[in-house]
Amino acid sequence: MDAYLISVLSNIGMISFIALSAYLLLLVGEISFGQQAFFAISAYGSGIVTAMWGWPFWAGVICGSGLGALSAALIALPTLRLRGLYFSIATLAFAEMVRLIFEIFKYQVEIDGEMVGPNGSDGFRDVRAIYEQNIPALDYMFIIYALLALVLLGFIVLERSRLGAIFRMLGEDTMLTEMQGLNATAYKLLAATMAGFVAGIGGALYVHLYTYVEPKIFDVMLGVHSLAYGLIGGLGTAVGPLIGVAIDIGLLESIRIASGYRMILFGGLVAVLLIFRPRGILDEAAVHWFRVRWRRVLNARN
Amino acid sequence: MLEIEHVSRAFGGVKALEKLDLSLDAGIVLGLIGPNGSGKTTLFNVLSGVYPADSGTILLRGKNITNSKPQEIIRSGVARTFQNLRLYKRMTVFDNVWIAQHSLPDVALRELILASRKKEKSRRQQVQHLLEVTGLIDHSEQLAGGLPLPQQRRLELARALVRSPDLLLLDEPAGGMTPAETEEMGGLIRETAAPGRTCIIIEHKMDLLSGLCHRLCVLNFGEKIAEGEPREVFEHPDVLEAYLGRSRPDA
Repeated sequence: MDAYLISVLSNIGMISFIALSAYLLLLVGEISFGQQAFFAISAYGSGIVTAMWGWPFWAGVICGSGLGALSAALIALPTLRLRGLYFSIATLAFAEMVRLIFEIFKYQVEIDGEMVGPNGSDGFRDVRAIYEQNIPALDYMFIIYALLALVLLGFIVLERSRLGAIFRMLGEDTMLTEMQGLNATAYKLLAATMAGFVAGIGGALYVHLYTYVEPKIFDVMLGVHSLAYGLIGGLGTAVGPLIGVAIDIGLLESIRIASGYRMILFGGLVAVLLIFRPRGILDEAAVHWFRVRWRRVLNARN
Repeated sequence: MLEIEHVSRAFGGVKALEKLDLSLDAGIVLGLIGPNGSGKTTLFNVLSGVYPADSGTILLRGKNITNSKPQEIIRSGVARTFQNLRLYKRMTVFDNVWIAQHSLPDVALRELILASRKKEKSRRQQVQHLLEVTGLIDHSEQLAGGLPLPQQRRLELARALVRSPDLLLLDEPAGGMTPAETEEMGGLIRETAAPGRTCIIIEHKMDLLSGLCHRLCVLNFGEKIAEGEPREVFEHPDVLEAYLGRSRPDA
């Protein structure tokens, strides 16, 4: 497989995690501009444990996503007291705070005569675990997609479960959901924690593929994009945000004709969809339409 | 069953409920009437925890539920419907009833993700049964937002009933319905919702209430102006005045 194609596909896979993370919060009716913070925390955290402490790559992914979940839970505790727009602004502010902390965060140790570790605004270099373990780019792409498939499977199980229904209930009417005997804040906290975990997987994969991260990668544009992916692809199913990522990175960024106009096209696409299809291409009604037809096919066979 | 003592609630300077006392025995169906803005829905909102009461106490089966959180009140056996219809419009009719089972005490936390097949099957049958009773079974796969209004009201009723509540609060169950639809709703409440259950029904349609209620309570400006058997209440001079602006009934 062509190296360029592998890199585009790997990128689509990694960004899909943060898109799913933002989607999970959109499901419970909260708009977060700050999921890149957990992506960043995991990228740094997993990089530190593999490059500096010598832990294996897998341990890095687990630590990174765990850190993502933990920090998401800690930050959701106070911010979920806010409603609507105020919550969104708080997530934005928190993510910028995290980015600025990484701008000044220095923690380096000497390994084989070289200083390794986060070095403020110069970023964090030499996170070489997958190269030291001789994992080729193609294999790494498969690792990314295997993890993505697992997460997607998790989403499918979730969406068929009562818990998934509770998330959608919260997204439609929080007060009515409390009127069904459910603790809205607790379930939103759970959703935020899961979202931090999912973003964390992406961050850990990202730092190890590029061996290098710097704080400015995690600026607010990454957060805006991750939100937009769900809004483009649709909020009716977890496949929606993946379609959003594929359209943005696969189509707009990779087709050379669009280069330079990418952000204009992307912004235009979001604006048009928000007007004509506010809940994305695969919105609840579309998913319901497919589901009903699918059931009819199954029934006809039986 | 339900003891409301001296409950008051004001919004700014407007007294929506003023030192309201109300006592209901188990199995009683109470009609709550009064002109617009007399505090009927406010009483439901205070009872179900949407608004806190400014003062007073509410006891449900002897347990103090005043100013408890909505989810706690609902879990202690209260269910309600809404005057301005609140459904999950992006969910199917079936799911709108199914979701009310999530917080039932016999649904273990684990079952929120992995349901035990046997238990889930019987719960789904219960939902189907209620959809049959309320005449919605043919629409069960439709999105709730697409239902006509009378069906939406019946769906709210089915959602409230799936929890088998001890206390059922119905806020204008026949609001916006034609006389024929109202009669159908009345039959549904009489045969399915009310038996063996304590109910409070807010309604303006007196023919619906007179066939259903053991007692009537009339509110005006947040105060109780009359309570008793329907016939007594309709002849009460204060009630006639509040409703018709006259002090004496026609001869």
